[in-house]
This record gives sequence, structure tokens and C-alpha cells, in this order.
Amino acid sequence: MFFLGYYYLWIAPHLLLAVVLVISLRRGLHRQLPIFYSYAAFELAQFLTLFTISRVSPFPDTTYRWALVLGMVIGAFLIMAVIFELANDLLVSRSSLTGVLRPLLRWATAALLLFAAIACAILPALGVQYALNMFQLLDFTSSLLQTGLLLSLFLFSRALHISWRSWTVGVAVGFGINACITLATAALRAEFARSGFIAVDITQMAAFHVCVVIWLVYLFLPERAPKLAGRGLEKSQMEFWDQELERMVRR
Amino acid sequence: MIALVFALVGLLALLLIVYLAKGHHATGGDLDELAAQLKPVDVNAFRNLIDEREEEFLRERLPAPEFKSIARERKLAAIEYIWSAAENAAILIRLGEAAKQDSDPAISSAGEKLFENALRLRLYAFKVVPRLYLGIIFPSAGPAPYAVADAYDTITRQVVMLGCLQYPTRGMSSAL
Repeated sequence: MFFLGYYYLWIAPHLLLAVVLVISLRRGLHRQLPIFYSYAAFELAQFLTLFTISRVSPFPDTTYRWALVLGMVIGAFLIMAVIFELANDLLVSRSSLTGVLRPLLRWATAALLLFAAIACAILPALGVQYALNMFQLLDFTSSLLQTGLLLSLFLFSRALHISWRSWTVGVAVGFGINACITLATAALRAEFARSGFIAVDITQMAAFHVCVVIWLVYLFLPERAPKLAGRGLEKSQMEFWDQELERMVRR
Repeated sequence: MIALVFALVGLLALLLIVYLAKGHHATGGDLDELAAQLKPVDVNAFRNLIDEREEEFLRERLPAPEFKSIARERKLAAIEYIWSAAENAAILIRLGEAAKQDSDPAISSAGEKLFENALRLRLYAFKVVPRLYLGIIFPSAGPAPYAVADAYDTITRQVVMLGCLQYPTRGMSSAL
């Protein structure tokens, strides 16, 4: 029963990711976020590779571990690129934001990297195996960076009351939830070492499952164009704006 | 211990992201509701509050402790004005975004300009308010935020223009 659940959490999110990929390609959404589609395609390829390695006996355990670490490095870079792509989507046709958001993201990345380096030095090492320690380091650092940057983007858009397109919000929310849970569990993996490996793995796989389901749901949500309904402003407000205008003209 | 702290940070970040993402569903809405949220901002009174000559005049005529207290009150009042202007700007950002989607190019262009300026005003308010608070602690620090008054004037003009384009038959006074 346990193995059934384990395999479900490993296979099902990737099947759903393939569905997301096919549906959005059909709708032409890949033109909106091309790096996200590269990431999704890479994630599927990585899954197929790792699944094959784990099922085919001639490969030793170390091959699987190094393939996992290599995939994680590439995946982490791709997710970072997707986050910058999401930021770019937020900036489209908003020229006054470009000068503020770009340096903000640059500084946030630098500060988060510094913070992650310090935290990695403090967190206990997993063991003597190099691949395992690399895996822990990457898991923690990339999730910390992703969480920090996505939070910055959400806070920025909220503070300025600007909206993203539905699909973009969905992608950001999915990555955000996945990154937060990975951050929390990666830190716990370091604390509990091998005894907590399975619990951490299952939680992270469940988080990725939730992330893909969110992407799938947002694919079917209608685009929310900012439309306003109503009779118009009250007379008092009309007078107020008129007075403001008159004052300005008199000056 | 440090691992538990990061686990907690991760969970708090998760809650924050879910909360912030929920806010995105609030885009759009009723024009009347938005209009009711607008706060009156007297730009002339604000200009008076941040006028350096006025401050100099008070400094010359009042005893130092009294001047300090009044200068502090004036800065706090200016902050109130800036927040009100920033809140109005947030509403105008939504109005501008909605107008940008209009099929009429004139309305769309006016909406674009309103959106850009309201955004600029809100960004500027975020920069200026901490400086004004700093000015309360260190009275000689921080330039007067004249740009807020100018930016507010500009968006006021653009709101009126947008209103004229959307409701040409009702005339300027009833446009908004």
C-alpha cells in the first residue's frame, strides 16, 4: 500500500504535467511563457530518465543519485529563469515599473544567495556521501531563492495594486507552494538525516502534485480582464475632481 | 534548531503566498464601490504643508521647542495626505487598467497614461513616506516631496480627461 502511494506521487504529477503541456501548447500559451514550457519538458525528460534508471537493475545507486543531482541543478536554473520570466510578464507595458522591479529582483537574488550560503554553512551535513550533500545543498538553496523571489513578486504586485494574467498567477502560485514546502522540508531533512528521508520525499512529491494540479486548474480558469461595472461616480466625487481641476487651472 | 526555524519560515511563506494570491482574484469590480473608496485630497493644503518658505517663516517666529512640535505635526499631516493620495492612486490604477482594455483607442490611450502616472505616484509615495518619518527624527534630513503634489495634479487631469472620453454627452463636470 505504501509503495503504491509512493509510486502514485511519483508518476501521477508527471502525467498531469504532460496534460498541462499538451493543453497549453494547443492553446498557444507557450508563446506567453516559453521558458516555463522548457522547464516542463525538462521535468518530464528527467522523470523518464530517473524512472528508467531506478527500474533497470544494471545501473548502480550512484548513477541514480548523480542523475538526480544533475537534473536538480538544471531544474533549479530553469525555475529561476521562469521566475524572471514571470517578473517580465508583470512588467509588460508597464514602463514605470521596469526601473524599480529589475534592481529589486537583482538585490533580492543577491541577498537571498548570501543568506542561503550562511544557512547552508549552519545546517548539519547529511552524511559522508558527496552526492547526498550536494543534493541537500541544492534542494535548500534553490527553494530558498525561489520562495524569496516569488514572495517579492507577489508583495510588489500587491503593494502597487497591479494584476497579472490568470495563467501567470497560476504558474507563480504553483511554484510558490512547491518552493515553500520544499524549503520547510529540506531544512527538516538536514535535521533528521536518514530517518526522515522518506517522510520528506513524500511531502515534497505531494507538494509537486499540488503544484501541477494548480497549473491544471488555472489552465481552465477564464482570463480575468480588469473590467469595471456601475453607474459611474457619485455627484460628490464628480464635484471633488472638478474642484481639483479648477484649482489646477487657476494656478 | 536552525532547521526548525527554516521549516517555520517555509510554512509562513506558504501562508503569505496563498493570501497574496487570493488578492489577485479581486481585480475588476464595481465602479461605484471604487468611487466610494476615493478620499478627498486637498493638493493646495498639502503644498502648504511641505512649503519650505512656510517652514522658514515658522522657524523665525516661533520658539525652538514650539517650532519642533509644529514641524512634527506638519510632517505627520503631510504623511496622511500622501497615504490618501497613494490609496486614490491604487483605485485609479484599477480604473486605468480597465480603461486600457477599451476598444476605443482614445479611451485606451487615456487609460494607459492614467495607469502609468497613478503607478508612478504610488511608487513615489512608498519612497517618500520613510523619508518624511526620517525627517521627523532628524528635522534637517529629506527634501520636501513636491513631486507627489505634481503627480497628483497630473493624474487628476488625466482622470477628468478619461471621464470626458468615456461620457462625452454628460460634459466635463459629470464625466467622473
